[in-house]
Amino acid sequence: MELGWGPEEEAFRSELVAFLDREAPSEAVGRDFSAATDEEGIPEWARLWQAKLFDNGWLVPGYPAHLGGRNATPAQSLIYAEELASRGLPRSLHFPGYAIVAPSLLEFGNKRQKEMAPAALRGDTIWCVGMSEPDAGSDLASLSTRAERDGDRFVVNGQKVWTSYAMWAEKCFCYVRTNPDAPKHKGISVLIIDMDSNGIEVRPLRHITGKAEFAEVFFTDVEVPAGNLVGDLNDGWRITMGSLAHERGGLWVQSVAGLEHAIESLIAEARDLGISSDTSVRRLLAREYAEVSSLRSLGYKGFSTFARTSASPEHSFLKLASSEMTKHLAEVGMRLEGGLGTTIDTTHLGRPGRWAATLLASFAATIAGGTSEIQRNIIAERILGLPRE
Amino acid sequence: MEFTLSPEQELIRTTARDMCTKECPPSLVRAHMTDHSVASQPWSALKQWVSVADGSMADLCLFLEEAGAVLLPGPFFATTSLFMPLLRSISSSAGGDIAGGGSTSSDGSAQVADLLAEASAGKLTGTVALAGADSRWEVNDGPIKSFVPEAERVDLIALVSGGANSASVTLFRSEDVAIRPVGTIDPSRRLAEVDASGAAPILEPMGIGANIVDDLLARGCTALSAELMGTTRWLLDTTITYASNRRQFGKPIGSFQAIKHKLADVALLHEQAWSSVYYAAMCIDANDPARRRSAHVAKVMASHAAIRCAKEAIQIHGGVGYTWEHDLHLYLRRAFATEDILGTSDWHLDRLADDLM
Repeated sequence: MELGWGPEEEAFRSELVAFLDREAPSEAVGRDFSAATDEEGIPEWARLWQAKLFDNGWLVPGYPAHLGGRNATPAQSLIYAEELASRGLPRSLHFPGYAIVAPSLLEFGNKRQKEMAPAALRGDTIWCVGMSEPDAGSDLASLSTRAERDGDRFVVNGQKVWTSYAMWAEKCFCYVRTNPDAPKHKGISVLIIDMDSNGIEVRPLRHITGKAEFAEVFFTDVEVPAGNLVGDLNDGWRITMGSLAHERGGLWVQSVAGLEHAIESLIAEARDLGISSDTSVRRLLAREYAEVSSLRSLGYKGFSTFARTSASPEHSFLKLASSEMTKHLAEVGMRLEGGLGTTIDTTHLGRPGRWAATLLASFAATIAGGTSEIQRNIIAERILGLPRE
Repeated sequence: MEFTLSPEQELIRTTARDMCTKECPPSLVRAHMTDHSVASQPWSALKQWVSVADGSMADLCLFLEEAGAVLLPGPFFATTSLFMPLLRSISSSAGGDIAGGGSTSSDGSAQVADLLAEASAGKLTGTVALAGADSRWEVNDGPIKSFVPEAERVDLIALVSGGANSASVTLFRSEDVAIRPVGTIDPSRRLAEVDASGAAPILEPMGIGANIVDDLLARGCTALSAELMGTTRWLLDTTITYASNRRQFGKPIGSFQAIKHKLADVALLHEQAWSSVYYAAMCIDANDPARRRSAHVAKVMASHAAIRCAKEAIQIHGGVGYTWEHDLHLYLRRAFATEDILGTSDWHLDRLADDLM
C-alpha cells in the first residue's frame, strides 16, 4: 500500500497538461459531461476536439497510436481521466462510438468491421447502440426486435427505445433476436445497421428536463446485409458485457469528480446564502464531503485491484453509490436554498434556484446503465454470494 | 497509487487473523464481562506483535482489523495506537524547537526512547489521557481526564494537559494515580477517569506542540477505525452466512431482494469505510498534508458503517438476533461505544467543516 505516482506517471501527466492547456477549446473547458441534446446537436468545436485528441494520441491513451492512443499504462490512463475530469473537459459529446462500439468491434468484429473502429473513435462516424426496448429494460435479454435471415440479408422488425443520439447517428450497433425458440440469452445477435436504410423511423424522446438526447427507433422490414453480423450468430449476449478493459480502472473518475464539484458548489452556495456558520449546515456538508471522499478512495482501491487482477467488484459499488449521490446532492442543494429551491424564474427573482434543473436531470443516474436495484442484485449475488431468487 | 496488499502485508493479515481467532474466542470476550483478568491470556501471545506499530500505519491497521474482528480486549490498541505514537513523536522532536513552548531535556528524551523500546518489545503497556469530563478530545487543563482507554491495566499513563497554545505530556505509573472505571455498553473495552492530582510523575512534564496532538489523534482515529472495520466485517460475514442458510417460505431468506438490498447497501458502506481507513493510513505513512482531514473522514465513515451494519445484522437475524446467547449484541455494543471514543462523529464533522469552510 502506497500513496502517490511514480516518475513515469508524472512525466505523462506533464505532457498531457501541456497539451490540454494549449489545445482544449474554451467551449469544452468546464462543460462537464452533459451529453449533446437536440437543442444544440453535436457542435463543430466538439467534432474538431475529438478528432484532435485522436490525431495526437490523447483520445484513448491506452490504445496504440493508430487507434488514437499511445499505449498508456493503466495508471497513466487513470491520470488521464483525472486531469480531464478536474477541468470538466469532455472528450466527445457522443459517447457510444468511442466508448462502446469501437471496443466491441475491435474485440468481436471481423477484419472489415475492425477497420470501422478508427472512424468511430475519431468521431468521423456517429454511432448509436440499439439495446433497450419498451418491454426489455432491466431484463435486456428478453428483447424482441426480430432479425430473420432471408438469403444474403436479414430483415429487421421491432422497436428500440432510450437510444442515445439516434437522431444524428449514421450507424446503429443493434441487438436483435435471431432465434426466438432458444433460451432468451442464446438467441441474440448483433447487427450493424445503416441508419439511412429504408424502414427506419427515429422519434426524439424528451427527458423530464424537456430536452432530448435519446430517441425511439422503429424498424419496419429493414434489410441488412448478412455480412453486417458482428461475432457469431446467436452469440450476441456475450457482446453486451462490453469491452472497455483498458479504461475500466478509471471509469469512476468522471462521476466522482462531478460529485466533488457539486460539494464545492454547495459550500460556496452556503456562503452566498449566509448560512455557512450554521452548525447543522456545516455538519451536513462535512458528512457529504466524507461520503464523496470515501468514493474517491474506493475508486483508487478498485483501480489497484483491476490493475492487478483485471476484475474489480469495486466498480459495481461505485456505480451504485455515485449515482445515488448525484441525486442526493441535488436535493441537498435545493434544501439549502429554502423557498428558492424550486424556483426557475429569471425575470422577477434576482436569484432563482440553482439546483432544480440538476435535480430533474439527476434521475437518469440511478436508472441508465443499470438501475440501482439491479446493481444491488449484482452486488448481493455476484460479490456477496447470496442465493439467486 | 497502490491500494492492494504487498506479500508481506498479506502475511501480517493472515498471521493476525490466525492468532486473534485462536487466542480470543467468543467465550473469552464473554468471560471478560465479569473477569477482566482473562485479557492477559491473549495479551501474552499478542505482545510479541506490538512491534508492528514501529512499521507503517497500514501494517498496524491490518493487524488491528483482525483484533477488532474478535473484539480483542486488553492493552494492545491503547499501547500501539496511542501511547507509542505519542512517545515516538516526543522522542523524535527532542533537540529541535518544539512549537508551542515547553521543552524536553535530552535526559528526558533518552528516557522516553528507552520506554518506547520497552513498549515495542511488549514489556511495557501504556495509554493516553487527554479528554476532559465533557468527552471532547481537545487539550484542556482540567485536573481530571476521562474516557481514558484501558487506564486500569496498563503500566504507564501519558497525561496530556494544557491550553490552546501550549501542551505538555506527563508520564505517571497507573498505580500512582486515582482511577475510576467509566462503564459503557461495551464490556470488551474499558474506559476510566484518571485523577493525577498530587501524584508524582516518573518524568518531568515535557512540552509538546499542537501539531503533535493533532497527529496523535489522526493516528489514533485511523487505528480505531481499522479496528472497527474488523468488527464490521465480522457482522457482515456472519449475516451473509445466516441469510444464505436460514430458510423461510421454503427458500433461503438471502434469496429475497428485501434482504439482498439491505446487505448490498451495508457491504457498500463497508467498502467505502475500508477504503477511507486505508487511504488515511497511506496519507499518514506519506506524511501527506491531507492526513488529518482523511483521518476525520475515516472515523466518520467507519463509525457509520459499523453501526448501520450492526443494526441490520440484528434485524436480518430476526428473533435469534436479539438474544443474549448470540454474539451479535457484543458487536453491536462495540460499534456504538467506539463511535464515542477519540471524538464523536459530530466532533469530527465539526473539525472537517472548519477545514473545508
